[in-house]
Amino acid sequence: MTEVAIGIDLGTSNSCVAVVRGESPEVLPNAYGEGITASVVAFQDDDGVVVGNGARANVIHAPRTTVYSSKRLIGRYFFSEEVKKARAICSYEIVEGPNHSVRIKVRDREYSLPEISALILGEMRSIAESRLGHPVTKAVVTVPAYFNDNQRQATRDACRIAGLEALRIVNEPTAAALAYGFGKGLSQKVAVYDLGGGTFDISVLEIGKDVFEVLSTCGDTFLGGDDFDDRVIDLLADEFSAEHGVNLRSDPYALEKLKVAAESAKKGLSLEDEVEIRIPAVIEASDGRTLSVERRLGIAEYAGLVNDLILRTFKVCDEAMQQAGLVTRDLSGVILVGGPTRLPLIRNAVRDYFQQEPRADVDPDEVVAMGAALHAASLISSDQKAFLLDVTPLSLRIGVAGGLAETVIERNTPVPIDQTRTFTTFQDFQESVRIRVYQGESRQAAENALLGEFAFSGFARARRGDVKIEVTFEINSDGIVNVTARDPATGQKASTQIALSSGLSEEEIQEILARGSADAVAPPLPPAAATSGAAEDLDVDDLDVLPDLLPDAPSGDADAPEGGARAGLEVELDPDLADLGPRDPSGDLFAPSGTDLSAGADTTEEDPGASAPGSSRRS
Amino acid sequence: MATTFAPAELRALARLLDELDYYELLEAPRGTAGTALREAYHAASRRFHPDANRRLDPELRGTVERIARRVTEAYSVLRDPRRRRLYDEALGRGDGPRRLQLVESAATATQRTRDEREGRTPQGRRHFAQATADIARGDVAGALRSLQLALTYEPDNAQFRTRLSELRDKTR
Ligand SMILES: Nc1ncnc2c1ncn2[C@@H]1O[C@H](COP(=O)(O)OP(=O)(O)O)[C@@H](O)[C@H]1O
Ligand SMILES: [Mg+2]
Repeated sequence: MTEVAIGIDLGTSNSCVAVVRGESPEVLPNAYGEGITASVVAFQDDDGVVVGNGARANVIHAPRTTVYSSKRLIGRYFFSEEVKKARAICSYEIVEGPNHSVRIKVRDREYSLPEISALILGEMRSIAESRLGHPVTKAVVTVPAYFNDNQRQATRDACRIAGLEALRIVNEPTAAALAYGFGKGLSQKVAVYDLGGGTFDISVLEIGKDVFEVLSTCGDTFLGGDDFDDRVIDLLADEFSAEHGVNLRSDPYALEKLKVAAESAKKGLSLEDEVEIRIPAVIEASDGRTLSVERRLGIAEYAGLVNDLILRTFKVCDEAMQQAGLVTRDLSGVILVGGPTRLPLIRNAVRDYFQQEPRADVDPDEVVAMGAALHAASLISSDQKAFLLDVTPLSLRIGVAGGLAETVIERNTPVPIDQTRTFTTFQDFQESVRIRVYQGESRQAAENALLGEFAFSGFARARRGDVKIEVTFEINSDGIVNVTARDPATGQKASTQIALSSGLSEEEIQEILARGSADAVAPPLPPAAATSGAAEDLDVDDLDVLPDLLPDAPSGDADAPEGGARAGLEVELDPDLADLGPRDPSGDLFAPSGTDLSAGADTTEEDPGASAPGSSRRS
Repeated sequence: MATTFAPAELRALARLLDELDYYELLEAPRGTAGTALREAYHAASRRFHPDANRRLDPELRGTVERIARRVTEAYSVLRDPRRRRLYDEALGRGDGPRRLQLVESAATATQRTRDEREGRTPQGRRHFAQATADIARGDVAGALRSLQLALTYEPDNAQFRTRLSELRDKTR
């Protein structure tokens, strides 16, 4: 038997699996003959688990035990905006796990997000196995281009739990471009517009025969087809409450029915100009009467409801085009990906924006999985037929004194790449520094995603400024981050694969794996650590003596042009201490004493998340 | 097409890596730009991309990955006119390192951090300096007052805030 590796598009709403047998990729349909499978997991009363389209029907009669759109939560902290939003709209229970992670509680059991994703991956794998007639252990799995390192790592963990070797994590739009351009010997620039259930991604690529070079990628992880449905839900619920004085949103069953109706209205509008929305017996009034929803919705009214959402996608496109240094007429192709791009409303808007017809020969539901399958086949074959040169979607940053985060690798920098920066300590005779790594576009540390942190000690103790700490940041082709600190004087080294603080620890993964394969129902995780303050979460006991790093100044800093950027050559730092920032005349009193500096930034009024649970998680 | 490397060749290249300038690494003549630069990057990627070298043993794979990261770095500096100018100037001087920081803002960022530390408004700076002097004299009440004043001019200054809350903690 020849080696096979599959491609899996693990979507927020739907997943798809494909394989290359012979020359071209083919989608492997599920038992119902459908190419896409709902990313829904239903936990049955008898402890069984149903995954896929069969599970979707459960959303209405068993909303508390049916998990959908869980990808919105993967790799997130419990206190994040996205999780708050999901808690408001999801009818299953989302609870806080250890280290501010997210867990989904079903009856008396708590599941981590990688475990939920693993159940979906396991389903896709078994679809492939039953179509292929033999076991499959290797896959290329796709993620939204805009996923940060936490989300990518969590997806990798999901693969491990599902017993799949993830050959690569590939960005969805890049996979789509590969499926579009593979083997055609093209030399052209294309844009991939991917609007899914919960996320929007745009990537601009240059295809040079067998090389697929991403020029830029931008995205919005808060924008997708579900938001379109929310607009219709709002409309129906508001009208209903005005008419009957009953709030449909407070009843989980009614809310799920509204969601289903809103979604099918949207799908209807991709084929017709007007649809009829009917939800008989949506709820029972206090007097025992059953009430219904009935309404017609036309395309013009619908356009009015969702227009701003569509415009938001183009703001993101503007950014991507600008970062790629292109104008729309430079593009030879526009590829549409994702269910909502079936809406004529969106196709037309895309055509107007890009000044060209989007490609009609690409299936928006299947193209990502096909690209993943092509890459999987290429990786296991002896000669590589396509090269994916991707970029990092978010700037990589390091926390420095004052609650700030300094850029180390800018967004849209090609990967794989590494970068070494030299820092010094904040105080005289400091024994240890805490290295915090973030991803995001804000200079305020707290407004970025914290990827992880570690303490580094063992460097020579000296006056601040005399200590040099070299920190090397590495991003691999999967977009996964690795950070190493080193004292060039002593050669002492500390390294960490940045551990996702909100995800699973290695021990937890081992424990899950030891319990057996993921398609068996996972027993409950150990109860969440009963700590609310998070000092215990850290790998060091002595927080007080671990102030932030202060950035070391590159040589030649003094004659840097006003406000202008200037490159410092990386090696050969001139330790010109005059440039290291102000002396702190009363260093001892001002020394951070148990107060975390980045947590301090959390308390500014400008930060709406200041009162988020755990936002000052290390104080 | 992926080329397979002789291990010796790879190791030799890895040893040389810090001595090669970006052009040499991409096997492109100095001054290569635009499409030619992109083609050189693509060609180098076909050889060194980690995907194309999965079959090497782990040690050599690490070596190839190191080279691949440097190739990417070379391209990302040379394709950016501003960084490229800085790089070419440094290279023209003939000595010194062969690599360039990817983020030019180190100097600017340091300046901003400094602003944040000392204050970016004259009043903010003055009151903050006063607070510093108050502390040196042991006048905690005075320092608290001065810090609060500094914050009225720069309410978003994280540094001022941190100092104030530390001082409050201390006096509690
Ligand atoms: N024919 C259609 N017209 C409009 N929207 C659709 C259609 N089919 C699916 N959708 C919407 O597409 C979204 C899911 O898109 P999909 O690409 O599968 O998402 P994801 O990649 O996030 O899993 C859902 O919001 C769904 O309602
Ligand atoms: Mg998708």
